[in-house]
Parts: sequence; C-alpha cells; structure tokens
Amino acid sequence: MSVHTETRSGLARDLGLVAWQIRYEQRSYWRNRGRGLFTFVFPLMFLVIFASLDSSAHIKSLGGISYDDFLVPGILAYAVITTTFVNLAISTAILRDEGVLKRMQGTPLPRWAYVAARIGSCALVMAAITVVVVLAGILFWGLSLRLEALPAIVVSLLLGTAAFTTLGIGILRFVKNADTAPVIVNLFVLPLTFISNIWFPTNTLPKTLRSIASAFPIKPLASSLQYAFDPRHHGAAFDWGSLRTLLIWAVVGTFLMVRFLRRPLGDDVP
Amino acid sequence: MIQTGESERAGTTDAGERPVAIEARGLRKAYGQLQAVRGVDITVRRGEVFCLLGPNGAGKTSVVEILEGYRTASGGEARVLGIPVGGSTAASRELRERVGIVLQSCGVQPDLTVAELVEMYGRYHRHPRPVDEVLALVELEAKRGERAGELSGGQRRRLDLALALVGDPELIFLDEPTTGFDPAARRQAWSAIRSLCELGKTIFLTTHFMDEAQYLGDRVAVMRAGEIIAEGTPDELGGRDRRPAEIRFTLPENLTLEDVPEVPSEQRTLDAGHVLVHTSQPVEAAHQITGWALERGIALGSFQIAQPTLEDIYLELTRGDGDEPASQSHTAPEEISA
Repeated sequence: MSVHTETRSGLARDLGLVAWQIRYEQRSYWRNRGRGLFTFVFPLMFLVIFASLDSSAHIKSLGGISYDDFLVPGILAYAVITTTFVNLAISTAILRDEGVLKRMQGTPLPRWAYVAARIGSCALVMAAITVVVVLAGILFWGLSLRLEALPAIVVSLLLGTAAFTTLGIGILRFVKNADTAPVIVNLFVLPLTFISNIWFPTNTLPKTLRSIASAFPIKPLASSLQYAFDPRHHGAAFDWGSLRTLLIWAVVGTFLMVRFLRRPLGDDVP
Repeated sequence: MIQTGESERAGTTDAGERPVAIEARGLRKAYGQLQAVRGVDITVRRGEVFCLLGPNGAGKTSVVEILEGYRTASGGEARVLGIPVGGSTAASRELRERVGIVLQSCGVQPDLTVAELVEMYGRYHRHPRPVDEVLALVELEAKRGERAGELSGGQRRRLDLALALVGDPELIFLDEPTTGFDPAARRQAWSAIRSLCELGKTIFLTTHFMDEAQYLGDRVAVMRAGEIIAEGTPDELGGRDRRPAEIRFTLPENLTLEDVPEVPSEQRTLDAGHVLVHTSQPVEAAHQITGWALERGIALGSFQIAQPTLEDIYLELTRGDGDEPASQSHTAPEEISA
C-alpha cells in the first residue's frame, strides 16, 4: 500500500512539474516578440487578404455556403497547424541543435513531463489564436457560432492539436538540424494547404488530389471545423469521417513521437 | 590504471579512505568500427577533484558521457554514487537528482532570465538550493534579471555552473569548465570550484589546461587513444616528482661553461648564453652556483629553478597522438624560486 501511495504522490509531483514547466514555456514563448507577433499576424493577415478577394461569393460545389463561412474555419485550421505542428517542430529542432534538450535530459525532470509541458504550452497558444480568429470572424465576417456545435468544434480542435503536436515532435526523427526543419515542415504543410479546403474550396480538384488531401490530417481538420461552423447545419454537427482521420493521425503521431523520444540523444556520435 | 586496491567497495574502505563516488570497470565504447574507449577503469572517491586529461579524440567525452548517462557503454560497467549507470528510468532519475552536469556547449532557453532559469532548473529537484544563494556562489547576482541570450560567454558559463549546482548535487561533472575564459574569469571559476570542494562535493573534471589540473586536481588521469595511460596526483604524475629539476641562467659574455663550478648534476649545457643544469639535487646545486656568483661578483641573468611542469609530463605521455597539439595550455613554468 505504501508503495502505491508513493507512486501516486510521485505522479502528483510530476504533474505539478508539468504545470510549472508550461508556465516557463509560455513566458519564453510570448517574450519572444517575433514569435508572438507571427502567431497572430499571419492568420489574420491571410484572413483579410483572402476575404477581400471574394467576400460576397457563394460556393456552389459546397451547397452554396458563403465564402466567408468557409474561409474563417479554414484559416482557423491553418492557425492551429502553424501554432502546433510548424511551431513545435521548428522550435524543438532549434532546442536540439542548441543543446537545450541535452541539458534537460541531464536533469531529474522526466522526459515525458518536459514534452507534455511543451505540448501543453502549444495547446494554450492554439486556444489563444482560436479565440482571436473566431472573434474576428464573428465581428467582421459574420461568422455564426452555434452553441450546439461547440462540442464538435472543441473535439475537432483537441484531436487536431493531438495529431499536429505529436507529429511535430515525431517528425524530428527525420529532421537533421534546425536549418532543414522549416524546409521539411513546409514541404508537407504548404502544398497540402492548397488542396485541403484552407484558402479556397477544393471540391472541384481532380479526384487523386482530393484523395491525397483526405488521407493527410490538414483537410480533415479544416472540414470538421467548416462543418461545425456552417450556419445551415443544425444540432451537434460532428463530421465523424474527418474526426476519425484526425484520431488515426493522433495515434500515428504519438507512435512517432514515442519512437523519437526513446532514442538517446547523441549516442551515435563519437 | 586508477584502480588502487582489490579491497575497495563503496562505503567499506580502509581506515582514512573515503567512500567511492564513481567506480568504472573495463568501460568500452565503440562507434561502428571505431573503438573510442578500450577498457577504462576509474575510481573516484567522495570529496575528491578528479581530472581527466587527454587530447581531443582520446575518448574523454565518451567516458564522461557514459558516466553522466548520456551514452550507453558497449562493455564494462560503471556505478555512480552507488547507482549503476544505464539502469532503469527510476534509477537514472535518482542519479540525476544527485548529480550536477556542466556540459561543454549546451544552450539554455534564451528568452528566460538568469533568475528564472535557476529557479526553473531548481524545481526539477526535490531539494533545490535557494536561487539567491546559487547566484551568489557563481557571482551572477548583478545579472539576475538579464535574459540568458544576452549574457557574455563567461557569464553564460557561470550560469551553466549555477544550473548544475541548484539541485545541491553530491557529484558534479565539469566538462572543460573554463574554455574560452579570460584569465580573471578563470580564476573566478577556479575559486567557485574550490568552494564546492570545501562543501564536500565530488568533482569530475575534464580539461585541456594543465594549470587547471594542477591547481584544482587531487588526482589526474591521462587518456590516450581510448585508454588511461597514467594516473596520479598532479605532482607525481608520470614520476614528475622524481624527475631532475632544471636550473637556468645566463652568463656574462666573458664566461663559459667551464667557469661554472662543478655541481651535482646529470647534465649541463650552454645554449646561446643560456646555461641549463639538470639536477636531482636542485637545492644544493643552486646553492653552490649562487654562492660562486656572489663570491666572484658575477651577475647571473634570469636565474630560475623549475621542476618539470605537468604540461611537460603530459606532452611526453601523449606524444605521437597528434590530433591536436596540447600547446593551447597557458602553463607558465612553476618556479621554485627565482
């Protein structure tokens, strides 16, 4: 029994450490002015640019949904991906190059606790950008947020965050250094956004491209958010197909992440 | 080899012998075909400053990083503070709780301040030392509000030391702690390390600087090509204490070596006006030479007596291992008198 109590109090202490570490990660994140700015400026800038291109249009191939109702959740999906996958992969690659990961490994902080804190910190940034994009959408682009659809929105964001944070860490196995990190990350993200219902509807694209997009997690995140925000839907508006794909990617991401974390840092270099 | 006796067991040692902090037996590390460490034995006692010397590529870093838990040994075994390295997750966490590590070039989170970082790294430990105390120890109080990314090289190195000390470790690994320091900063770092010894900490140090090993080390081991080739106190290493001393001086132009009286010596040479006397009886030899000079009113220039320095011994031991000349050491000859 006493062993059991000890393990539990050990876990409680470790969870406390995660909470503290999230605070330090947050402080670090927002103190870097460039990073804080990019987090908010980029998605809002894209929102303004794309919305001004075609604001009054309605999309026939998507049942006549207005372009704004399509665009705002799409930009939200893009913002989630940059604040989780892109941000985590690039910043962790830098931390690895700078030796910070090695230093952290030399401390009693368990590796899982450090990673959990970095993911938790990303999730907070994701929540902040979500609030900003949704508020901007409601105020300037007539976005309607239905209360019944809130669970579907939250589930989409959580599954998306789970998939894109774990993938952000897991991809580091294939990223040699911090210089190549942005290249490799954007090699995946940029082309996919063009076929994933982020900037413009992609329903009229060739079937092959649509199938590719549906297999990767970007389009499912955008689609499930667009589905939940669609003012013509009633009720809970869960897009189960997309959510299932996100869940699969969250599992794949977790698998890749654990494999990356299991490998000792720098054991293969003399 | 460093092994000094068969009867050594952690905690149960001969009278006066302190318990063992690090014990490694037959440590090996291979990277593919490359045998970087070829059977190294190390025993470090509690409260001791142990220096591992050797040219780059000798296998120092591999040994240290195996002991620190960063690398897994290909063979042999090692215990640090009684805990086997490369063991279970719980065991290695316990080890990291009690060990402080200063790596050669490891970054920190650049956007956090000095005080925040010391506090943050302290939280990982069960019994951290107060932030102010740690900052005072490394003399960084004035920089507590500064972001890590804005510190100078020397300040960064002292922050490294602070982050290793905040958990109040029993054993501290220092990998080339003063590389890139100016002389004043090195003296500061040395005094910080000395004060750690006074607190009873065990220190495992690797360095390129022979004066550092001389000043700080209780015991020194020299690695070459994956093996330890010599081990001893800085004064005894490689039989240094039994080597003849050198007496050097210059003669006035009108005198030659024949004019200098016979003194107990192994060898006497005159090279471009510089007399060099190798002698195992330096006190007597110097007495006779200076007596002769005083009596005759002869002015001897640049008179000095020197024991072979640790650097001389080191260069001799590692000769032929030419990856990197060890001459980057700033050692001055140790003068007995002048």
